[in-house]
Amino acid sequence: MSAAAAKTQYWVLGEFNDSDALLSGTTTLRQEKAGELDTYTAYPVPGIEEALGVARSKVTYVAFAGGLTGAVGAWALQLYFNYFNTWHGYAVNIANRPPHAPPVYVPVTFELMVLLSGLSIVGSLIVYFWGFPRPHHPVFESEAFVKTASTSGWWVSVTLDAHEKVEAVRSRLESLGAKNVSVVEDAEEA
Amino acid sequence: MSSEPTPLILGKQTDETLTASLLAFVWDKPADGWKKGMGILSLGLLSFAIAMALLLYNGVGMWGNNSPIGWGFDIINFVWWIGIGHAGTLISAVLLLLQQKWRTSINRAAEAMTLFAVVCALIYPTFHTGRPWFDWWMLPYPATLGIGPQFKSPLLWDVFAVSTYGTISVLFWYVGLIPDLAALRDHTKNKTVATIYGIFALGWRGSGKHWNHWKVGYLLLAGLSTPLVLSVHSVVSFDFAVSQLPGWHATIFPPYFVAGAVFSGFAMVVTLMVPARKFMKLEHVITIRHLENMCKVMLVTGLIVSYGYGMEHFMAWYSGSEDEFTLFFETRAFGPYSYLYWLMWFCNLGVPQTFWFKGLRTNLVWMWIASLLINVGMWLERFVIIVISLHRDWLPANWTMYYPTYVDVMMFVGTWGVFGTAFMLFLKVLPAVAVSEIKELNHEMNHHSHDGEHGHSIEGNVAPAGGH
Repeated sequence: MSAAAAKTQYWVLGEFNDSDALLSGTTTLRQEKAGELDTYTAYPVPGIEEALGVARSKVTYVAFAGGLTGAVGAWALQLYFNYFNTWHGYAVNIANRPPHAPPVYVPVTFELMVLLSGLSIVGSLIVYFWGFPRPHHPVFESEAFVKTASTSGWWVSVTLDAHEKVEAVRSRLESLGAKNVSVVEDAEEA
Repeated sequence: MSSEPTPLILGKQTDETLTASLLAFVWDKPADGWKKGMGILSLGLLSFAIAMALLLYNGVGMWGNNSPIGWGFDIINFVWWIGIGHAGTLISAVLLLLQQKWRTSINRAAEAMTLFAVVCALIYPTFHTGRPWFDWWMLPYPATLGIGPQFKSPLLWDVFAVSTYGTISVLFWYVGLIPDLAALRDHTKNKTVATIYGIFALGWRGSGKHWNHWKVGYLLLAGLSTPLVLSVHSVVSFDFAVSQLPGWHATIFPPYFVAGAVFSGFAMVVTLMVPARKFMKLEHVITIRHLENMCKVMLVTGLIVSYGYGMEHFMAWYSGSEDEFTLFFETRAFGPYSYLYWLMWFCNLGVPQTFWFKGLRTNLVWMWIASLLINVGMWLERFVIIVISLHRDWLPANWTMYYPTYVDVMMFVGTWGVFGTAFMLFLKVLPAVAVSEIKELNHEMNHHSHDGEHGHSIEGNVAPAGGH
């Protein structure tokens, strides 16, 4: 672990008094290009996406892809067992009904579409969109943060790569009305 | 509207007061009432263990099923429990899409109820196969036997429908729980407890970027669950409707089963939440208005179910089928099980009519009794459909009666133990009310009452500025 390989990030944290202050404070910081921004609240705040400048989540596409895979896969699966299984075994023939009978394929196709779509939504949220599990995150180093962030606080963080900018951001947060302003140093191994 | 509707959250609440009051039951030492309840329900669990041991050792011959009554308590209870499960998904998903804000106070407990009800339901078909150690034959896998499952059978559709339903319900519940698990993790002073909740919270920090994904993902899951919940009981009803037995072979079955499922599910939510809200001091978030709304849902779905009964009878007459006519107008109405049939009408058509009256649908004692009667009625409906249709087939020499054995009864009581103990544990270790969602609702209500010029107020949900 050489010092050159380590990339140190600085997390400047501040807590606002209410949601309106958080929204306007975050918007100001974004307009001033203070650094990489994020907010931390106990529940979703309307307008936070606009304040942070993030686009609507792309999880919709994952859901669609998962659902499509499930539906196509289910149809293929049924067709295989009812019809093509003669290659390795026996096609299921009960009462000589047509092997490819679209109406009776519908229930299983629907269920597997929902199943795969749901699994891919939650799987992609956890692993890809949230980057979880991540029990240790720099923001948890602040005791004041842990105390209120998940229950009642209105927190903002500014992530900086350069140490020189830390003081400026810290005082800017304070002038915007944030309390409990603190800096967490995160030495990540590259 | 002349009178202001009761707000959905009573009193002047802040994030801090809501955190404290909603998490209190988890942090407090188990109350005496909780311990006693757990003790009684554990007896059910014991009954379950004994019944299962007898069943596994001796086989399904321990049940009262016979020929021609091949389906008895096992399928009645399977359908009954699955039906109860429907309220959870309906409340959490359908009412979310319909923007019914009152769902927020009851969705978490109702979803938990769904999960445990699905578990209880699954026990029955799992063991009804007779040799449960071969149950994996129901799954499509490249078998050396050279043969796959029968995909054209509604019984196999059930495998997919119920397992998908269970999985999606767990996912939906868990995604909603993550923020609350983080709150539990950060709210405790005990390091071990914080670690345990922390593991399940996965490192949730309430990031605005994460909430963005959470909101969309949660909405998508709701969108998926809505047709799913309709499909599950439809598929269950296919088990009957696709066969050609009088009393089963009816196209009305899917919608009528779904309505019946919602009907019994809401009844179960009322049965559980009326005592729980009082005992757990949740009256400020599960108000009389929530309970009244649930009574209204029961009234509507009860009427749909009764319409289904009426339509079955109409078709039995109008089709001109002698077998159908005999079943509906002789065997059901005047046969050996007619008392159960009439009791079903009383419970499912009669009892919910009391909810036309505001005095009765806001009366806690009456709605609790009514919810129990409705659950009895819905159980009887499945008994009527299954046993009465089977016990007199086309050959009078086959006619016989169905009586459950002590193993049947012990197993049924046992699933109550499984359901009850699981639900009690849930109430103790997780917040019974979705904390973050309630706070969001509270925030929304306060925000709208503070600056009215912000436009659209939420119809009927705005708390009077002074509070009560």
